[in-house]
Amino acid sequence: MHNDIQFCLTCLRDQFWPQTLDGLTLGAIYALIALGYTLVYGVLKLINFAHSEIFMIGVFASLFTLHGLGMQPADPSKTGVALVFTLAAMTLVAMAASGGAAVIIERIAYRPLRRRGAPRLAALITAIGVSLFLQELFAARYGRNLLGFPRVMEKHHLASVAGADIRSDKLLVIFGALILMLALDRFVALSRLGRGIRATSQDPETAALMGVNIDRVIMLTFLLGGMLAGAAGTLYGVFFESARYNIGFLPGIKAFTAAVLGGIGNIRGALVGGLALGLLENYGATVLGGQWKDVFAFSVLVLVLMFRPTGLLGESLGRARA
Amino acid sequence: MLRRRNTVGRLGIALLLSSVVLGACGGGGGSKNKASEGGSTNGKKTVALGFVGPLTGDSANLGVNIRDGAKVAIDEWNKKGGPITYQLKEFDTQGDPAQAPTQKDRYIPDASVLGIVGPAFSGETKAVLPDLEQAGLVMISASATNAALPTVVPNSKVFHRIIADDDVQAQGVSDYVVKVIKPKKVALINDNTEYGKGLWEGVVKLLTAAKIDTTTTDSVDPKSQDFSAAVNKVKAAKVDMVFYGGYYSEAGRLKKQLSDAGVKAKFLSGDGSLDPGFITSSGAAGGEGALLTCPCRLATPDLPGKAGQFATSYKALNGRDPGTYSSEGYDAASMLIAGIEAGNDTRAKLLSYVDTLSSFDGVSKKIEFAPNGNIKAGDVFVYEVKAGKLTELGQTSELAK
Repeated sequence: MHNDIQFCLTCLRDQFWPQTLDGLTLGAIYALIALGYTLVYGVLKLINFAHSEIFMIGVFASLFTLHGLGMQPADPSKTGVALVFTLAAMTLVAMAASGGAAVIIERIAYRPLRRRGAPRLAALITAIGVSLFLQELFAARYGRNLLGFPRVMEKHHLASVAGADIRSDKLLVIFGALILMLALDRFVALSRLGRGIRATSQDPETAALMGVNIDRVIMLTFLLGGMLAGAAGTLYGVFFESARYNIGFLPGIKAFTAAVLGGIGNIRGALVGGLALGLLENYGATVLGGQWKDVFAFSVLVLVLMFRPTGLLGESLGRARA
Repeated sequence: MLRRRNTVGRLGIALLLSSVVLGACGGGGGSKNKASEGGSTNGKKTVALGFVGPLTGDSANLGVNIRDGAKVAIDEWNKKGGPITYQLKEFDTQGDPAQAPTQKDRYIPDASVLGIVGPAFSGETKAVLPDLEQAGLVMISASATNAALPTVVPNSKVFHRIIADDDVQAQGVSDYVVKVIKPKKVALINDNTEYGKGLWEGVVKLLTAAKIDTTTTDSVDPKSQDFSAAVNKVKAAKVDMVFYGGYYSEAGRLKKQLSDAGVKAKFLSGDGSLDPGFITSSGAAGGEGALLTCPCRLATPDLPGKAGQFATSYKALNGRDPGTYSSEGYDAASMLIAGIEAGNDTRAKLLSYVDTLSSFDGVSKKIEFAPNGNIKAGDVFVYEVKAGKLTELGQTSELAK
């Protein structure tokens, strides 16, 4: 029986570097999305299940930016200044669209509940409701079929290291994601608004007494998480070149897992969790076969949580060091 | 704590209430449908055929092709203005075995539905076949090819398909691969669905028997965009050919990711991948050179005889050329209509008509059923993606001579 579970350690040895590079690429995107879950959880102790659709909006916004710039599916890829300009335009539009969507969702789906002192469970249900609403809205508007992206960026093979093809688009994803995460980390650690976020996540009541505007902090948190999801949407679109109403579902679930794995509420935890999950999936698929990759990745998650119930880094957002 | 428990309680009550209400509505709908049985307007009788298959979802194109083919048959008969007006009721399963039973609960109680064109996919067919059998509702699938389907319900009377099964297709694929592509080492990948894995198993078995190295196998998650683990595996194994068992969206994505990774091996996939959606997914450049097989022939207006005629009326009605299984969808509907026209106006009579039909001269092929509901003949055609278009190369029996 060919397709049963295999156990091939030599496969992992032979394919280690290519699988690592691809694991890191996908993991970087998971991490970028995971930040949205982690930030909101840190401040509100709420899992924002609509975050996967905020990411989906980012993918669509990137595609529509390309359409807006008049790029057709058969057009040649961009190079040089045109490429930088196109990528920057896609990223900015996607960040604006996703960030805006996140703020609006907070305003209409979560804030009214919070004002009325509803239990967190209610917000969880509205989160799922918003998620389904957005999926079906996009399905009704843009159809359920896959929409292809034109190729924005040529997938150049730059070098081959130990069998791993260093490719321009993979580097873009990894470094793009890392730079954005670093920027967020510094922003939360150093800026005045970041201090507000940390204060609120430590103790909302005291923070309010000290003059922190809680509603504003919450809005800002959603905005930041949404913007990062939008940027992740652009990277995802450039890398996988497709958009569809349900494209956010799987990355959303994976990113949520990554956030928990790294320690939810912890910014650096999201980075560690995302990269770890991306690697685990590819290593699991290599050793055990593709159909076992989720089984493997989630078994590791359970094991980690058994020994470190708060995740790998397990520290809350409030106590993150400056 | 108390408050939270209250919320859970309230939610539970709300759910209970809504399910009671929905249940009542469902019952009401059912009886209403029964009342409309044999409903007549202007002295004319209206009879419905059910289309069951995906109209939305990842593999919707294949279902839409079948439905639109069936529509042509219905349109033709209605234009003749006979005493019976035909109607096509659509039941969208998204091709998902988990959605299929919900739809079944709509069309089985609907007494105006005398026969089913579909279900389209193997997994969904397997999920509802026992209930169809019990209801005595005849089905003619245009596209469900899993080889094990006739054994799902032993001695099934209702099961029929007018497409050769995956064993026949696997044989065609294997002949073509062995005689034309002549690889030493192949990678075989599937999507873990009833159909994809079934076809894959057949191909693995035959290629292994032909002394080709088939040790590189993997499966992918069709819901995922990222197939990098499988791509790296294929690349490391340095194979001459990749076979994929699955549907067009993922097949195109896999082909693109293989091309982008610099894998030059030939790419071959089956009927589930034969759709322009393959090229949407792969891009024209990424899909170039992919070979797709089908135990079916795409009808085009330039084909001679009935197939060409069908293609012309299909385009006139639906505004585009027929796709994979469109002619089979037309044939399935035509067979059911022919039965009803011959006076078989109940489910039981129509079932025995289809079951005892000796042969039917269809657009797709001459249709003769084996006792288990399979079709007797089956040619496998090969298509190639050339410059962003599907081009017919010919029949495997000819190509592999």
